Amino acid sequence: MKKVFCLLLALMALGTCALAETVNATDEAVLNIFSWEGYIDYTTVLKPFEDETGIKVNYATFSSNEEMYEKLSASNGGDYDIILASDYMLNAAREAGLMQKLDKSLIPNYENLDMTFMSQFFDPDNEYVVPYVAGAPLIVYDPSQVDIEITGLESLWDPSLTDSLGLIDDARVTLGMVLLSMGQSMNTTDETILAEAAAKLEELKPNIHILEYENLHNYLLSGDVSVIYTFTPFAVMALDSNPDLAIAFPEGTMGFGVDGCFIPVNAPHAKNANEFLNFLLRDDIGAIITQWQNYCCTNVPAREILGTWYTENPVFTGITERLDDIEYVVNLPIEDAQKFQDIWTSFKLSL
Amino acid sequence: MVRKDSLRRREARRNALMAAPMACFAVLLVALPLIYVLCTSLVSGGKFTLSSAFTLDHYRALLRVDYVRVFANSLQLAFFTTVISLLVGYPFGYCMARAGRRWKALLMMLVIIPFWTSALVRIFGWKILLQANGPINGVLRALGLIDKNIKFLGSYGAVLLAMVYCLISFMILPCYNAVDKMDFTLVEASRDLGAKPWRAFLTVTLPLTMPGILAGCVLVFVPSVGLFYLSDIMGGGLVLVGNLIRDQLLKVRDWNVGSAMSMVLIALSAGLYLLYRKAGGDGLGVF
Repeated sequence: MKKVFCLLLALMALGTCALAETVNATDEAVLNIFSWEGYIDYTTVLKPFEDETGIKVNYATFSSNEEMYEKLSASNGGDYDIILASDYMLNAAREAGLMQKLDKSLIPNYENLDMTFMSQFFDPDNEYVVPYVAGAPLIVYDPSQVDIEITGLESLWDPSLTDSLGLIDDARVTLGMVLLSMGQSMNTTDETILAEAAAKLEELKPNIHILEYENLHNYLLSGDVSVIYTFTPFAVMALDSNPDLAIAFPEGTMGFGVDGCFIPVNAPHAKNANEFLNFLLRDDIGAIITQWQNYCCTNVPAREILGTWYTENPVFTGITERLDDIEYVVNLPIEDAQKFQDIWTSFKLSL
Repeated sequence: MVRKDSLRRREARRNALMAAPMACFAVLLVALPLIYVLCTSLVSGGKFTLSSAFTLDHYRALLRVDYVRVFANSLQLAFFTTVISLLVGYPFGYCMARAGRRWKALLMMLVIIPFWTSALVRIFGWKILLQANGPINGVLRALGLIDKNIKFLGSYGAVLLAMVYCLISFMILPCYNAVDKMDFTLVEASRDLGAKPWRAFLTVTLPLTMPGILAGCVLVFVPSVGLFYLSDIMGGGLVLVGNLIRDQLLKVRDWNVGSAMSMVLIALSAGLYLLYRKAGGDGLGVF
């Protein structure tokens, strides 16, 4: 019995060694991607990459940036080759030393990137991150249903818009919008300012008809609301479906966000990861990504392929024009995030 | 006597053996995660570890007017959902049980077929029907009943409709079962003794089918308390317990308070079930 047990143990130890061996082999034709479900399309992006390079892609998913960060730091940046996440989490990963520098000799297509989207706070020297998409929340409205001219956030409070507004069901985004309209930072934790914002949000109550996180454009297209404040892709989809719709941007600072890819510090297949980033930055692939995601295209030659749909789209041109006055929603400590959430919960309860 | 005892013991052993895999699954997939949630709700600083200090602070943090109102919102929505489901589902189940064989099969199909597609897809179907420029408004306009589109979406009624639509089968099936099993000669007897149809229903049929009604109410009410995505899809903008827990976990990222909220919801649901058992219900009698 004892012998059998020892044999088993030995076999297990051998197995573990073998396993460790494969994981560390960098010449293996595998790429482990970690991102949100469906964020990189299989048929149009991952499959062509597999066919061209013979590298097998494993796509693991997380449901939130926080979950990603936890797994990344638990594995000390060792389990995945490419991670695609949001700006503030990219910053956290960089500051914690969990990213490795891009090998730009393997990424000749890096020069396709539009420099106006680069050198952001999460990667000031453009060493670690390849931006995947970028966008900003904005106003979309139906001029035939609205009696006033909408010039910015302040117009949302107009009494003529009673019961006709669709807003994003999220404390940080919508309370952030109110803060921007007051000329304040979306990331303020000052209780007096937050109380003022809560009071101003309260005044918006009669105008609100729908609160929903995603797909607000459907309510605009169906005539249930006449004005929405929504994320970039939904604004693009709304205009694609009905070109008579109009858009408006905040008068002052605009909320902005970037999702980008990076290679973890101990990525087992770093070479493949660099190769994949080069593939992502190809003009034709960049065009496909933009068509799928409906976000701003950070890839200059890809825009030529996209044609006037992109270059004359007021959503994309409008956002690009305003890039000199932007603010990111940053991660707040739990106590401060709770302040935002409490205001939002009270507000929704009073609707 | 001795033989009988050993037989019984053997049978008990066999039953235990048969139940063992199921019990393992239950412990592994239900009990352990729930115990972990319970432990997380009793410590501070995010995740539960063996060295974390015990605290009740997160339960104390729940004692706020807003949170009580959120729980009240959920209970109210569940209550209305249950009442409407009962008012529609009981007559449906009754007719189904009393119908001829072919009709019975047809009605049963109507109850079961919706389960073949995802509830989410069906709810989006409702959304299209109800939208401002959708078919329902179109018909109402064509009939000259309205001249301005009604904004159904985003109303409490739209949320209630979606809730009832998704859960009514759980009311219909136990009611049907109870009526189907009932001995109708008892109703005939009461009619022979001079009871009017309504009186016969109230004094004979209703009490005899009460177990089915109670089971249906539990099966509708308990999931209703936790369902929150329907309100979100219908644009209800309500804050239900589910929204509160999700936001606490994913937006505030306070796992300890989020776990405490989950435990309160579980305790509430368990309490409702115990109440049902106390009221004389045993088993939920669906299958």
